Formats: sequence, C-alpha cells, structure tokens
Amino acid sequence: MSALQPVDSTAARVADQLRADGPWEVFAQRTRRYELHLNGTTIELARGPITVEGYGLRLLRPRGEQTGRGFQASTDLTADGIRATVATAEAVARLSSFPAKGVELPKPGGAPASPLIRDDDLWSDPMGTLERFVHALTAPFDGRSNEVLSFGSVRASLNENSLANSNGLRFAYPSTEVEYEAAVKASGGPEGPPPGEYWVNGSSRRATTDHLADEVSAWCRYAQDVRRAVQPPTGDLPVILPPGVLTTILPNVLSVRFTGTARLREIAPALGTSIAASSLTVEDDGTYPWATGSGPVDDEGTPRRKQPLISGGSVAGLLYDSLHGAAFGVPSTGSAARAAGFGMRDPRRFAHAPGLSSTTLSIPAGTGGSDAELVEAAGDGIWVQQLGWAFPDPFSGAFGGEIRIGYRIRGGKLAEPVRGGTVGGVVMAPPGAPSLLANVVAIGSTPELTDQMATPPLLVRPLVVAGA
Amino acid sequence: MADLRDYEPNLDRILTRLERRSAFAEILAERASGEGVQVERRSTTPNVQPRMHGAIVRAWAGARWVEAASTDLEMPALESVADAIERDLDGSATAGSAPGESATTDEEWRTDPPHPVSELGMEGMVSIGKDVFGWATAVPGIKECQVSMGWADDERLYLNTAGARCFQTLSRVRYGVAPVAMENGRVEFDFLSGGGLGGREILEEMTESSVRELARGTLDLLHAKAPPTGQMPVLLDPSVAGLFAHESFGHGTEADQFVRDRSYLKPILGQMVGPTQLTIADDGAFPGGWGTIFCDDEGHPGQKTLLVDHGRFVGALHDRESAAVLGAKATGNTRRSDCLSRAFVRMTNTYVEPGSWSLDELLAEAKNGILLERGTSGIEDPLGGQMQLKVKKGHRIENGRVGELVTSMALSGRVLDFLRDIRGVGREGDTKMETGYCGKGHSDLLPVGTGGAHLLSTAVVGPA
Repeated sequence: MSALQPVDSTAARVADQLRADGPWEVFAQRTRRYELHLNGTTIELARGPITVEGYGLRLLRPRGEQTGRGFQASTDLTADGIRATVATAEAVARLSSFPAKGVELPKPGGAPASPLIRDDDLWSDPMGTLERFVHALTAPFDGRSNEVLSFGSVRASLNENSLANSNGLRFAYPSTEVEYEAAVKASGGPEGPPPGEYWVNGSSRRATTDHLADEVSAWCRYAQDVRRAVQPPTGDLPVILPPGVLTTILPNVLSVRFTGTARLREIAPALGTSIAASSLTVEDDGTYPWATGSGPVDDEGTPRRKQPLISGGSVAGLLYDSLHGAAFGVPSTGSAARAAGFGMRDPRRFAHAPGLSSTTLSIPAGTGGSDAELVEAAGDGIWVQQLGWAFPDPFSGAFGGEIRIGYRIRGGKLAEPVRGGTVGGVVMAPPGAPSLLANVVAIGSTPELTDQMATPPLLVRPLVVAGA
Repeated sequence: MADLRDYEPNLDRILTRLERRSAFAEILAERASGEGVQVERRSTTPNVQPRMHGAIVRAWAGARWVEAASTDLEMPALESVADAIERDLDGSATAGSAPGESATTDEEWRTDPPHPVSELGMEGMVSIGKDVFGWATAVPGIKECQVSMGWADDERLYLNTAGARCFQTLSRVRYGVAPVAMENGRVEFDFLSGGGLGGREILEEMTESSVRELARGTLDLLHAKAPPTGQMPVLLDPSVAGLFAHESFGHGTEADQFVRDRSYLKPILGQMVGPTQLTIADDGAFPGGWGTIFCDDEGHPGQKTLLVDHGRFVGALHDRESAAVLGAKATGNTRRSDCLSRAFVRMTNTYVEPGSWSLDELLAEAKNGILLERGTSGIEDPLGGQMQLKVKKGHRIENGRVGELVTSMALSGRVLDFLRDIRGVGREGDTKMETGYCGKGHSDLLPVGTGGAHLLSTAVVGPA
C-alpha cells in the first residue's frame, strides 16, 4: 500500500498560493467517479468520469479564550479564486467563536503506514472493474426463475486526498470507495403469496467479488422468506442483532455521544461510568483494513489509530480532534472527519469543515460462539436480519424500526420468518437503567466488517418488540 | 466565480459537438451559493456554501444513457467530458431516438422574495440565532439549545439538443430550533423547523412564544413514559400524515419503479384504495414549498399531479422514459440532487389534502389509541407495500381525549390496510410544506416538502 508522500497535490498547489496568516489548513480532493446502474440485469446508465477537484480552507483565529473558525470550500483553483476563498474564510472567522485557545494543528512527522484503503484494480481500470463486479452480481441469477434482480447500482470513487497546513505539513494519499445497492425480487408458486423483495446496500474500499455468489444466494432466500413471513409477537423478547443491523444503530449514537462535541454540550458519558454489559468492549479503529472510515491520517492530518470507547462495560475514552482537544486540554485522537454527519455520505469531503466522528466501531469476538449457539442461547426470541431504518436519536439514544425480515427463535432454533411490527429501545441509558448496551448477554465469536462496524452478532435480552 | 450564464456559450459548443454523434443530448449546469449559522451555548458557527459549480452531460447511446460531469466549466474540462461521452457513444446506434418526449421549454424563472435573507448578512443571522437561543434557555431547566438557519440559492441551467433552454434560481430558506433537556443522565430534545422558497418572512416563524413553548415541551419529555406497543387506533398529526403521503403513495408512484415492475401499486392503478375523503397529491408548483421547482432537470415544468383522488388511485410521477414506456406524459418530477448526480423520478411536495373532521371528532372516533406527533423519518417498501414512520413524541388517546405524553416511537403497517382502515381526515392541517430531505434508495438526497391533515387509522406502534 502507498505510504504518504509529499507530492504535487491539490492541497500543496493551493497552499503555495495562499496569502494568509496561520494557523490554516487546506484539505483537498481530486476525485474521479464511475457508476453503473442496472434495470434488472441490463445496464441502463453508465456514468463517468465525474471529475471533481476542490479544496476546503480553514483558518483559526485566536481571540482571548476563544478561537474563531473560518471555513470556505471552493472548486476555483485560480489565484483570484483562492484570494476570494481566503477573504470569505476570514469574514466567517470574525463572527465565529469556539471555547478553545492555543489550537495546534498537526506538525509534519514520520509518514504513518497507510492501512488497506486502495483497490489497485479499481484504480487502474475503474470501469472494467465495475463491469466485472456487475457480471459477478448478475451471473448468479442465470437459471433462477423465481428470483430476479429488480434493480442495482455500483458506484466507485477514486480519490487523491491531500492536506497542507501552516505548520509545514504536506502530504497526499490515494483511496478508493465502492458503494453498491441491489434489490432481489422473489416470486413463484401457482397461487402463492405476492412477490417479496430483499433490498441490500453496502460500501467498502474495494470491489471484491469473492463471496458475492454466496451473498446473492442468501439475498434470494431472504426475498423468498419475505413472502411467507408473519408478524412478530408483541412483548419484551431476546433479540439477536447481526452486524448488518448493528451498523445502522450503534455508530449513529456512539459517534455523537462519545466525542468532545458531546462533552462540550455536557451530554457525553463520564469516564469510568458503567454503561454496558461487563463483557462488552468497543473501540474506534481508524486503521481497520478496507473499512471506509480508515485512512493513514484523519481529516486534519493526525495519524489514525485505535481508541477505546468502552472497556469491560465502562466508558474508556472519547474522540477528539485538534479543536476539541484544545478545549479540554487533551491531545487529538485522530478523529477529525468531514462529511460525517447525519445522512448519506457526501463524496465531496473537501466541501465540509472537519467535525468529530467515529470511523469503524470494532467489537472483538466474544464467547457466545456461532450463530447457532447464539440462537440456542436466545431460547425464545427474534433474529432481526434487516430493519427498515433504525434512525437512532443520538440525544435520547432511542432507536427502532420496522422489521423488514427476521426469524422467530423457538426452542433455541430458528423458526418461521417474521416481518412487520417494530423492534426498538434505547442504545445507552444512565447506569442501572435498561438499554441495548447494558442488556447484551452474549457476543458472537466471529466479527464481520459491514460499513461502519466490525462486530459479531449480539444477543440482547430483552428489547421491545411490537407486532401482532 | 463567474455567473453560471457566462458559461452558456461553452455549454452550447459542447451540445453542438454532441448533436453530431447522438440523437439526443442535454446538459445541466448548476451553481449554489448561500450562508448559514448555528448557535449553541458554547459556540457560534457561521458557514458559507462552497464556491462550486459544475455541469453534467447526458446523451442517448442507442440503448442506454451515458453521462459524464465536471466541476470545471472552462472549455478544456468540458471537452474532456465530451470526449468521455463520445467514447461511450462509439459503436452505438445513433439513429434510434431517445425514449420519451424531449422538452422544448425556453424560459427563465427566479424566486424573488421581497426581503431576501441574504440582506441580513451572517451578522444578522447570528443576532437572530442568539435571540432565539436566549428565548429557549430562559425557560428554567433548559441550558442548551441548537439554533440553526440559513439560505441557499440553487441556480440551474438546462439545455438540450431539442431546443430547451431553462434557467431557474431557487432561493430556499430553512431554520431549526432544538432545545436540549437533561436530568439524571437522561437526555431529550424536541424541535421546531420550517422552510421553503422565500425570504426573511420564513425566519420570522421563530417567535418567542413558540420557542418558549417548545422549550417547556422538551422538559416534559424528560418525564414522558414509553409508548404503548401493539396494534391500535393511530391518529397522525399533519407532519406525520405528510410523511405517510410521501412514503406510501409518493415512493410507490415514482413510475420508474413501475417500469422495473417493482411497485405494489402498479396493478391497482384506477382502483379505489381508501375512503372518498382521502386525496393525496404531489405538487412541484406549490407556492413557496420546500420541494417546489420551476422546472425539472429534463426541462419539464413543475406541476400538480393527483395520486389519490377522493379515494381512487389515479396517477403516477413520470420522467420522460417511464412516460414513454407506460404511455403517459412527463410530470415534471425528474430531479438530480446536484449537477454531479444522476436523474431519477422524484417527489417534490407531497401531501394529504384536508378533509372534514375536526380534531375533537377524530379523537372521539379513536376513543382509545395513540396520537403521533412531530414526524422525523420514514422509509418506503415499494414492492412489499409496507411502511415505517417515526415520530419524536405522542400522546395517549384515552376515552376520546388527549392523555399522557409518551416518548418517540415507530409506526409499522401495510399501506393498503392502513388506507382501508382510515376513519377520518382532519380539516385542520398544514398550510405550508414541512421540510425534509429524501433519498432515492440509499443515495441522492434532495429537498422535498410534505404536509397534510390529521389522519385516523389503525397500525402497529412500538418504542423507537
């Protein structure tokens, strides 16, 4: 993998033309994007290259106990454009206030090794790689008469990321990102129930097709099971949440509440507070291989690392960038992130000022064993395969949504599929109160990377299920 | 950064070049500008929209569309875009015409508010934000409140080889107020938000009395109980009814899903699906709506399309391609979230039209159930016909009266069952559109309005 190299990057080019006092930083991207969109198994739209080159300039202006922050992004790389960007950022900084002084931006240092974040095949032949991905996605449907791909898309971004700051930091690194989305429609049977659908999406740093055929088989099975699923019962039940569901719940709450931003708002949990089951450990790992949140450095230039958040059920740490670190007199944890707020990720990260966010939340393997052993431990409950949209509230910690497809657990075995109704609760609560984190009773033994989490399935006893 | 129209000659040259190679080509160029501010207890954060523009080129390649785009509007960059398009056109049949009707509209539109928010400057918005923060935190027990507001001008220039030339400037204004209450480790917030096409009058909706009432309501949430669980009568407030319209008949009637045979509604077009008092519409021309557009990104004017008319499912939303396949007309619903994103059939402002029931009559009819308030999110299920709606809070309905406050919850149900069980549509409702952002699948967020009147039906609810 590429190590950091000082190169003739977009950020360096802007920095060389800057006429501004420090502290300042430039984060830039040169991005090529390619996409294939499917109608069934036919390509209905090919897109690319979609070429974007832009930068975001942040100025920090000390004012007594406060710091003014001025940010402006632009795609105008001309000298006049850069001058206008500086003028706007200065004007914004004059009106801004943040309770920190002596904010130190990262200094040049040894180039940290880059984690695995660039797919070399994709980098050198983006459209060819996407076409091979689409072939691998559609081929398993050949010969299937009762399951079809009703739509799909795969989108690849090839990013040249670069940073420069007034401390003399200059470097760049490449990264790739792939997002895919597909819907499998199942039908069949002479007088059978109406068609069913399993709708899936995911993201990674690479366009790997290694397990795609197996995944398609599973999607087809879920789509068929949707057709015969019944509503779940109502009650407080043991619930198993697999990685694909956990990644829609935990990051939305922990990446807000376990940060310096939350501490500033006085809604962060205190270090040492018992907040989860004693068997639970959660760390933020900015170096996890092939994870979309990984990188050699954060979006300010501080090396990414592993940061414990929960250890043995107690709060072990919070996430900081340079700004929030200065507010509390602690070092940055390499957690500055752009375009990491609510909603879908904007590939134009340069257009956003850095904020604070988790990268990949990692829960190590537990002692709960295989999926079958977790199901056996649940006894009588629900395996939630997919939620409609958990949409967690990071303030109250409340989460929940409709069960798109799940399975009833009876007598320690997976039984009939369930669909409809809701499952929900709160992610975290004051010590002693029930919550998802506190009610974890078993942790599976095989972590899996899905989007923003690398985790095994968790058995939670109980969560509230509303249904028939 | 030069005006978008200064680049029009460059765009014309690219279109002329592509006209020789493709039966149809089009360009959408965009420039955005705007300012905003967020005020909290410990920080004040003004922000300015990126100085950014760009253009996307789409051409018909005989059997499929091809697209390329750039954020550089100078000729060398645009020529590179055209090169990429032409490479994809190689070997394509140029004789076949693009599906559907090409727009030929030649018009210019501009939101022209009498008092644009830009006149305030960032200083003015900071001042308003601090006033609003002060109103909220004057309520004992409220120490924190997030106040945000801003304006954004979205300029779009659409050109095609059929002669269309549409230029529009959409001036959107939005605000949000979210007091935060804390007690013994429990954290709650409530919110007030609004927006639309317009100017300073939109920010004036944040009044001292409405903000103080909101702050007091936030404190009440600290002591609210969990909602009941299971199937029961549900009364949706106008914001939730708007979400219902969006998730059920909005996404379900985006006709690209009809073309993919991926809509549970396709087989029942023309049938009665609900009571005669139920009418649902999508209206891209709704005055001042958050999702209002003058024309869509294929050059078709924004318009009102009835989806459900007095209980009968009568219409769908079309782009040129779905209209061609299904023998319909384009409805002005083709939208790109920005000049780099693909075009899809999308909603604009989707709402339930008012009925005849008073709120007291609806509560009496419900007798015992749950009132769902402050819609926060929803998600559709285009093929399965399920829906999920989430709300920030609600009240139990007990013996026909509003009872105790309950915390956030989710509603789940099958849309056609929900429609069948509608027992009343309120006569009091939104006179403007609520503000929201909608994705197509898991990407391409864009502004949409929702609105409605109270709806009484039956569904499953649970804490969420």
